Amino acid sequence: MTTASAGSAGELRRDRDAGWIGGVAAGVARRFGVDVTLVRLAFVVAAAAGGAGFAAYALGWLLIPAGDSRPSRVRIRTGRAAVEVALGTGLLLVAVLLTLRELGLWFSDAIVWPLFLIAAGGALIWRQSMGEPADTVGRERSASAAAVPGAVRAEAGPSVAAPGRAELAVAEGRRAAVAISRTGIGIALVIAAGVVFLQATGALGAARDVLLALIAAVVVLAVIFAPWIVRLLRSLTEERAERIRSQERAELAAHLHDSVLQTLAMVQRRAGEPTEVAALARRQERELRAWLSGRPAPGQSARLAGALEIAAAEVEERHGVPVEVVVVGDRELDTRHEAVVAAAREAMTNAAKFGGGSPVDVYAESADSRTQVFVRDRGPGFDTGSIPPDRRGVRESIVGRMKRYGGRARVTSAPGSGTEVEIVLEEEQ
Amino acid sequence: MFAKPDITSVVAGVCIVALGLLLLLDGTGTADLRFGVLAPACCAAVGAILLASGMGRPR
Repeated sequence: MTTASAGSAGELRRDRDAGWIGGVAAGVARRFGVDVTLVRLAFVVAAAAGGAGFAAYALGWLLIPAGDSRPSRVRIRTGRAAVEVALGTGLLLVAVLLTLRELGLWFSDAIVWPLFLIAAGGALIWRQSMGEPADTVGRERSASAAAVPGAVRAEAGPSVAAPGRAELAVAEGRRAAVAISRTGIGIALVIAAGVVFLQATGALGAARDVLLALIAAVVVLAVIFAPWIVRLLRSLTEERAERIRSQERAELAAHLHDSVLQTLAMVQRRAGEPTEVAALARRQERELRAWLSGRPAPGQSARLAGALEIAAAEVEERHGVPVEVVVVGDRELDTRHEAVVAAAREAMTNAAKFGGGSPVDVYAESADSRTQVFVRDRGPGFDTGSIPPDRRGVRESIVGRMKRYGGRARVTSAPGSGTEVEIVLEEEQ
Repeated sequence: MFAKPDITSVVAGVCIVALGLLLLLDGTGTADLRFGVLAPACCAAVGAILLASGMGRPR
């Protein structure tokens, strides 16, 4: 998703704020939902072939009215639609170039065709280096989560079902494959441009000799250093696999801590109330079964405010301590914000258990680029340096979890002055 | 009331008709269909169909 600033998406308007010259390319890209780089490259290549691009741009500047500066959000085409639009535009451009060549409005084969190939390859590499729009990543993650129903749902709190590491790994793998193929095609087009240029200028023979010498040198060096390179690659792969396993273990431990271990502790405390113990066990069983099968947990909300309120109500019901929730701003829950809810839920549980019965205050604020949650109690407080190493609540379920998802959490407390947990998640760049 | 036409099918149909006309003109000797004419026509036809298909997909 990108932000543009001229009129609505349905009207063709020049986008002066996003444009480089008169905003014609930016306006066309905005109207048709294509990458602005593609439109700019089409104008540049057409300009190199007999100046048609200059004429088209000037006409556009003259005839297309300028848009207002009202901001609006425009979703760029992605996936198959983007590929079709890019290929279609490229083929139409080739048709225009061939026609101009046939009509004699032509600069030189040695310039125009290499320029066209460099432009196409450069656009692919440039697009890849700029990264994917955030909503594309989210949609891919959601799609892969739906495609792997039996996978382990790690990191989800009992009231929140989230795609786990397996689904994320599938989405990451798919994105990596697209990135590699896009970059590879871009590099191949740029190399082809060089070959076409050398062929057209008659310098290919000399370049071939240099290239052969270079390839021979690379082969010799590869044979000499192959054992070290293979060992290095193997060690990097093993290290990566170990890191993934360690993260999986940490997330599984955090989930078990937040759900099963806490229910068992409650069962011990309420051993004399068989009806309540049975209800607790039933609820935990339902949650655990939903988590294992990858189904959404009962009572799940798809938005941040709703999920925090559900978590607060659950903690209030379990521990009999009032939990006040104030949420400013709201947003849809993605995997990272589900981790925020799970960490906040754990902070609420800690406050309810160790806050001496004092009310728990939860304040959450969510803007476009940042989500913050504060959980406060006025209980006896504690020395944060004195947490035993086997206690996972703060270390793994709050601080560790937020770290794994690219956020941070800070616990501020001292004996006699209550406790505050601050959870922060910035938008991914 | 008519159903909304599928824009990709319409564009594809128009392109195929245009290519057919070109071939007909070549066959009757009215036009000389060389590579320099046929290649841009084919590129334009395929490009237009792809563009219409891509634009017709939901964002």
